Amino acid sequence: MKKTSKLALDGYVWGYLMVAPTIIGLIVLNIVPFFQTIYMSFSKSKAFGAYQFCGLENYIEMFKSPEFWKATWNSIYFCILTVPIGVFLALLVAVLLNAKIKGKTAFRAIYFLPMVVAPAAVAMVWKWIFNTEYGILNSLLGKNIRWLTDPKIVLITCAIVAIWSAIGYDAVLLLSGIQNISRTLYEAADLDGASKVQQFFHITLPMVSPTLFVVLIMRLMSSLKVYDLIYMMVEQSNPALTSAQSLMYLFYRESFVAGNKGYASAIVIWTVLLIGIVTVFQFIGQKKWVNYEV
Amino acid sequence: MKNMKRMAAGLLAAGMAAGLVGCGGGNQSGAAADGNVNLTFQIWDVAQRDGMQAMCDAYTAQHPNVKIEVQVTSWNEYWTKLEAAATSGQMPDIFWMHTNELLKYADNGMLADCSDIVDTSKFSEVSLSNASGSDGTLYAVPKDKDTVGLVYNKEMFDAAGVSYPDESWTWDDLTDASQKIYDATGKYGYMAYGDDQLGYWNFVYQNGGYILNEDKTQAGFTQPATAEAMKFYIGLQQYDWCPDQNYFAETAPGTAFFSEKGAMFFEGDWNILAELQNYPEMQGKWDVAVLPKAPNPVNGDGRATISNGLSYATAANNKNLDTVKDVLKFFGSEEGQRIQGESGAAIPAYIGLEETFLGVFEEYDINMQVFLDMFDYSIQSVNNASRPEWKSKVSDELLKIYAGTVDIDTGLQNMQNIVDAASAG
Repeated sequence: MKKTSKLALDGYVWGYLMVAPTIIGLIVLNIVPFFQTIYMSFSKSKAFGAYQFCGLENYIEMFKSPEFWKATWNSIYFCILTVPIGVFLALLVAVLLNAKIKGKTAFRAIYFLPMVVAPAAVAMVWKWIFNTEYGILNSLLGKNIRWLTDPKIVLITCAIVAIWSAIGYDAVLLLSGIQNISRTLYEAADLDGASKVQQFFHITLPMVSPTLFVVLIMRLMSSLKVYDLIYMMVEQSNPALTSAQSLMYLFYRESFVAGNKGYASAIVIWTVLLIGIVTVFQFIGQKKWVNYEV
Repeated sequence: MKNMKRMAAGLLAAGMAAGLVGCGGGNQSGAAADGNVNLTFQIWDVAQRDGMQAMCDAYTAQHPNVKIEVQVTSWNEYWTKLEAAATSGQMPDIFWMHTNELLKYADNGMLADCSDIVDTSKFSEVSLSNASGSDGTLYAVPKDKDTVGLVYNKEMFDAAGVSYPDESWTWDDLTDASQKIYDATGKYGYMAYGDDQLGYWNFVYQNGGYILNEDKTQAGFTQPATAEAMKFYIGLQQYDWCPDQNYFAETAPGTAFFSEKGAMFFEGDWNILAELQNYPEMQGKWDVAVLPKAPNPVNGDGRATISNGLSYATAANNKNLDTVKDVLKFFGSEEGQRIQGESGAAIPAYIGLEETFLGVFEEYDINMQVFLDMFDYSIQSVNNASRPEWKSKVSDELLKIYAGTVDIDTGLQNMQNIVDAASAG
């Protein structure tokens, strides 16, 4: 066996000491509660933190509940609605913001603004815009679309707001990726007579793909975990609630409104698994299109 | 670019762990060594802050060694926060209790017994029940009491040539007037929406039905009197003069009323002052009346209004229990209740002091007296220990009836089953 030298040991001690604040924080705030949640998902919860082990009961009840499957589908549907379009638009905005135009900084600030505004305020304003009777959108369109109460439309409405709020942030990430691309590549392409469109597809897109991948993963995770936006847009007195209720909304209602913390934990574990599976597929899929070579 | 890949993996791990699991915090307080006591007092209504502060100031003026800090937490977070605090044994020293939640806290032994500091002869039976646990013991000091009234737009009544609502009104007058106003002005009449305390509960009890039986173990949704009232109330949205639930999901009835889209809705007395202040251009155009009565009640005289009441409570394991209970005793005394009433915060629960609440309304042209008159036939707000559990489920069921995905008889049966199952424990 190799003996660790005193110097190396000193190094370890200092190393661990240095990372301790972060690690302790992670353990106390994330890792321990994560395992507690797993335990809670196998328990019946009573008021004020009392738990009783009940085996798979919560999961059986959950898988039998149509409300739960509806919420699962709602979360997935929300992802389908927001992620492809949202990331595509963010990329478009990033490319445009990288162009040589006047007032570029102002535009960047404008696109980033939704990120700075509190989600609650965003939802309030959009709710008025979408109001069936008195909203500006219906009055502009001259139609009577029930944006927030028609079960078929309500999630699309939420998706529009979600895309609008996220574009700026994603675009800034992608913009930083684009700006990391060496100018020489474009200069060489210009010399070879490549058009701007060709340059986008053959230089920009492959070179920005690692950032794009990160953005995609983050967006998928946050879409599957969506809660605050839908909570704000679709009140609990809305008849279309079951058509808009995401997994995390259901979790909130079970956990904090009805007080079923055990059952709610089972929903969380299910969501973690769902996100895990989707992400694993993304990591497998990335080999096909993400380019890590310079 | 290799580090990009690592960054992606790192983000994955962090993203999955964070956000999915949360944790709550609590408040800490205590006695200092020098005999000074610092107490925290948690409430949810910012409009009542000054009234509460005035009450605390009156107490601390007599007891200079006590300091009380009034903290306001919004209604939406209040119960999440309080439950987390109770779980970790760090509740505020004094806090408001609501009938929806009181039994859950009282029956689980979270609240200190207050029976020795309340003069029960000074509070009505409804007030005392609103502050009692399932075992009948007082676990809180009654703070205020409220009733629900019929708010109406005088201009719309005038335009339609209908006389204003009064004690003689029945449900039929309510629908007739609504129809006439709709015909004459095109505005909505009575706005009936999916709410319990400000909605169907009143109708159910007027009709002689009940939501929970006497010993609170069983629901009454399938009782004929209850079912009849529920059908009447839910059926109101079928009329042209009443917006449907989709409308109310986007526009609260109060918002519709004060933007002059509708002529009538049910409102609690605790909202009136804020509405007078927030809609100055509407002052003088509207007034309040007692609730209309059931025309053919199965039992009783057809009169009822839901009366809720808040109370002050403290934790059973509070470290300064003696001091805190002395403060609570003051809050429940004539002097404390008078300060609360005169501040316009709420109608004092203390019998004989109700009129103090009217003072702040003198400058407005509104008949607040009707809210006090209705105490004669007020019904205690519906609750039992499992109410937090069934409240949202019953409301979901009501929405399904409104949306037409469930017919009303099935819906009522479902509500019955939900409440019965939850109440059985």
